[in-house]
Amino acid sequence: MYSRELDGKTYTFGVSGKLWRDALLMYDHQTRSLWSHITGEAIQGQLKGKKLKPLTSIPQIAWKTWRKNYPQTKVLSVGKRESITRDNYADYHKSQRAGVSGTRYTDKRLSNKSLVIGVQVQVKDGADGIDGHDGADGQDGADGQDGADGGVVELGSSQRNPTQKQSQDTGSTFYRAYPLTQFTKNAIINDSVKGVPLLIYHDKESFATAVFKRIVDNKAVVFTSVVGYIAQDNTGTEWNLITGIATSGKYKGQRLERLSAVNIYWFAWARFYPDTTIYRP
Amino acid sequence: MKNYTLILTLLFSFTLYATAADYDNDPIKTLLAFDAIPAITKPQFVPAASAKLDTDAPVIGVTFNDESHAYSLYLLNGHEIVNDVVGGEKIATTW
Repeated sequence: MYSRELDGKTYTFGVSGKLWRDALLMYDHQTRSLWSHITGEAIQGQLKGKKLKPLTSIPQIAWKTWRKNYPQTKVLSVGKRESITRDNYADYHKSQRAGVSGTRYTDKRLSNKSLVIGVQVQVKDGADGIDGHDGADGQDGADGQDGADGGVVELGSSQRNPTQKQSQDTGSTFYRAYPLTQFTKNAIINDSVKGVPLLIYHDKESFATAVFKRIVDNKAVVFTSVVGYIAQDNTGTEWNLITGIATSGKYKGQRLERLSAVNIYWFAWARFYPDTTIYRP
Repeated sequence: MKNYTLILTLLFSFTLYATAADYDNDPIKTLLAFDAIPAITKPQFVPAASAKLDTDAPVIGVTFNDESHAYSLYLLNGHEIVNDVVGGEKIATTW
């Protein structure tokens, strides 16, 4: 899910019919540049090197669960149909085949067709840790991030994995894969990536996936239990993990910051982000 | 549906062309013509109450500024991209 606005212009996208790294390439109608739908980056054409702004969504959820939480939702209708009853890729999903055009590339840490939740975490350079946050780091305002962001980062030094991607003002991006098999007994995982406390939620019933920074009022909270999509944290606050909003308790009415997340086959995630770590309990 | 079978057959036939080296070279492979899979540029929507969807049907859900859209994943198989506007946010939903 990406913004179609870039450098003050609006673009529309089509399907190029081309694959790169076994994944779809989009093209924009305005310049016919080719864009990876995995990274949001143009890899060929006039806009090569430009990157679309990623936006958050719930990448998959059962209709009844979505509707219950967003009763005002509208539903995409194509030719007066809101769905078709069959998944045309069902056979592909059941098979061991990796990539619709086949891939020889494998990262053997997991099997190719393992489903994972892929998470990207931006970590700013030079920001201070959560306990030491005093609002003094001047980087916060500069890039439009809110205050909570700067207060959760542990990298105070220049120590950094040189293989991680960097850009001018966002610092470094770290990648972690959460195998869906980790969620068979418990739908929530409290984790931290480079000092950023995260909550990973995946419900095997509704197949809903959500990833949040578990930071409230600049403090990390720990989630202790979940029933359906209502979770409780260590302050006794109850949170709706579909909307990210606290429904009762100390933090009632507060909203967790959602991170973009994808449900993706391991071979695809690892191919685009070979530096990814894998969550281990 | 026939169209789909053709597309999938074309896709799978390219299995033979993948090589172990392609990770380093990262070639762009052409499988279909531009727009052979038609992206949606003027999406139409219906309210939840009149949507014909199984209760367990998988959807992508987005919400911006109190406006929410749901897209059936099975429907998106045939389109891959929806050019949409939700709560004033111009978005490309990709699947």
